[in-house]
Amino acid sequence: MSGGTNRYVIVGAGAAGMAAAEAVRSLDKRGSVTVFSDEPDPPYFRPLIPFLISGKKRAVDMAMSGQGPYSGEGMDLKLNARIRAIDCQARAVCMEDGEKIAYDRLLIATGSRSRIPGEIEGTSIEGVFAPRTLASARAIAARVENGRHAVMLGGGLLNLKVAFALLECGLKVTLVVKSPQVLSQLMEPEDTFLIRDALNRAGLQIITGAGARRILSGSKGVSGILLEDGREISCELVCIGKGVEPNVGFDHESIQVDGGVVADNFTRCNVSDVYAAGDVAVTFDPITGGRIVTGLWTSAVEMGRCAGLNMAGRPTEYGGALGILNATQVADVAFVSMGMVHTKGRDFETHVCGSAGAYRKLVFSPDGTKLVGVLLVGDISRAGLYRSVIRERMEVSGIKSHIINHTLHYGHFIG
Amino acid sequence: MPEPKEIFVRVDRCMGCHSCELACAVEHSSSRSLYGAISETPRPKNRVYVEFVPPSNPIPLLCRHCEDAPCMHACIAGAIVRTEEGVVITRSDKCIGCWTCVMVCPYGVIGRHLEQHKAYRCDRCPDRSLPACVDACPTKALVYLTAGDFSKGVRLTASAGMLTGQGG
Repeated sequence: MSGGTNRYVIVGAGAAGMAAAEAVRSLDKRGSVTVFSDEPDPPYFRPLIPFLISGKKRAVDMAMSGQGPYSGEGMDLKLNARIRAIDCQARAVCMEDGEKIAYDRLLIATGSRSRIPGEIEGTSIEGVFAPRTLASARAIAARVENGRHAVMLGGGLLNLKVAFALLECGLKVTLVVKSPQVLSQLMEPEDTFLIRDALNRAGLQIITGAGARRILSGSKGVSGILLEDGREISCELVCIGKGVEPNVGFDHESIQVDGGVVADNFTRCNVSDVYAAGDVAVTFDPITGGRIVTGLWTSAVEMGRCAGLNMAGRPTEYGGALGILNATQVADVAFVSMGMVHTKGRDFETHVCGSAGAYRKLVFSPDGTKLVGVLLVGDISRAGLYRSVIRERMEVSGIKSHIINHTLHYGHFIG
Repeated sequence: MPEPKEIFVRVDRCMGCHSCELACAVEHSSSRSLYGAISETPRPKNRVYVEFVPPSNPIPLLCRHCEDAPCMHACIAGAIVRTEEGVVITRSDKCIGCWTCVMVCPYGVIGRHLEQHKAYRCDRCPDRSLPACVDACPTKALVYLTAGDFSKGVRLTASAGMLTGQGG
């Protein structure tokens, strides 16, 4: 303590860091809150970066301060500030420029970065991007001006959104996915037909079951891509969307790191007064109870808020993060995927219903008493109710037919 | 600031007449008249929903403007804010139609305006002193009161009932 006021230090100004800073501020009006970001831009809504590429939004329109629940007030924000080490003995973070900043409570919210597969050659060629930051989005937007064809490696959500942004820019876009189908993290191949159809109609070229071997370069950077099966595609732009990995590159002696910074149910690390939240944290999955690292904005905010409340002295248990918790619209098809939706070869009770415009898959525990996963495509109305049922581990016997028929409403919980 | 009013639901009074839904849709139409509203394209959307619980008990559901609003915190675009009056609103200009709010709303009361590709929900009728649904409810199943006044009413009704039951 310094003069009776707490010094809160938050490393990372993404979803978790900013949510934590606001939460700390809501409880503790006196302590100092310092937030470090290694980016040059003030905190922004990261999921919006495809809009910078398409030109639909400017960077200033994506800033967090003053938007939604983020006041951005009462905190000292340090941009372009990367930490080198955490010294738990001295209770200080060491910055890359040598400065030491003391803390009374520390939050590690360093987030994650794009995973660049080592087996693909040429990923450092000019014109190869891993969309993640505003800076990367700006670089893509600049490259678009001299490009005609973009190849997207990886069929995840962010890459799909960037693909659509590039289509809107007038580029030809080809999506290359190693899995048998797009969005393989969020659904199984047979669940994708409505989405796949929408992607085709939107004009996206899709190559499934194929990986990239090498990115080819010419005098102006990327000139094409060589697939593992020997096919060559000429292109001027490559975007890699192969998932993310936690930013744990800082030095530390005693903090437990196991695929991420390990946090307990109260978002605490194994070292006192150190907390972790967001993409960098290893938390737990309420369905399986197992450890999990998630790369989801929604989860990062929840975890960050929880950490902030704990740091400011209000013990708050975190409810856990579902490995899958995604809602979005690709082309004109909306979908929500949450919880356990990969059921093939596993012993779940699964109910599937498909029609021309909608598809749903409801996944129950093997004994049929708990809902564990939901995939809604097309009609996603009242999806939040299912999230509650999954997360609260609700006994479903009285409402099961409503879940299966997608007629569940809040009245069923109180009626 | 004085305690803000909220829309409370007295479930036992609801007959399931759907008047609230109609009044809500009309209030959120361009013409703000029933005859105009039914001919508008896209059709005006109601933000209160009368559902039925077996065997046939009606229940009006609408945004609770949660104190700890999950939608507001989950929104990936910063489009959901709480006004000074405590109303949680979706700013259409910021909404990108990602439906994250729909995915996290524990009450299932956020709608999707497909034509506009925007989320919508109860805005407590900012242009009216009494929300349209409350105004339209023939049985006063929907009331617009402060939390203090509402709970006071509940207490008075309960004690009156107890007195009657005791022969007082």
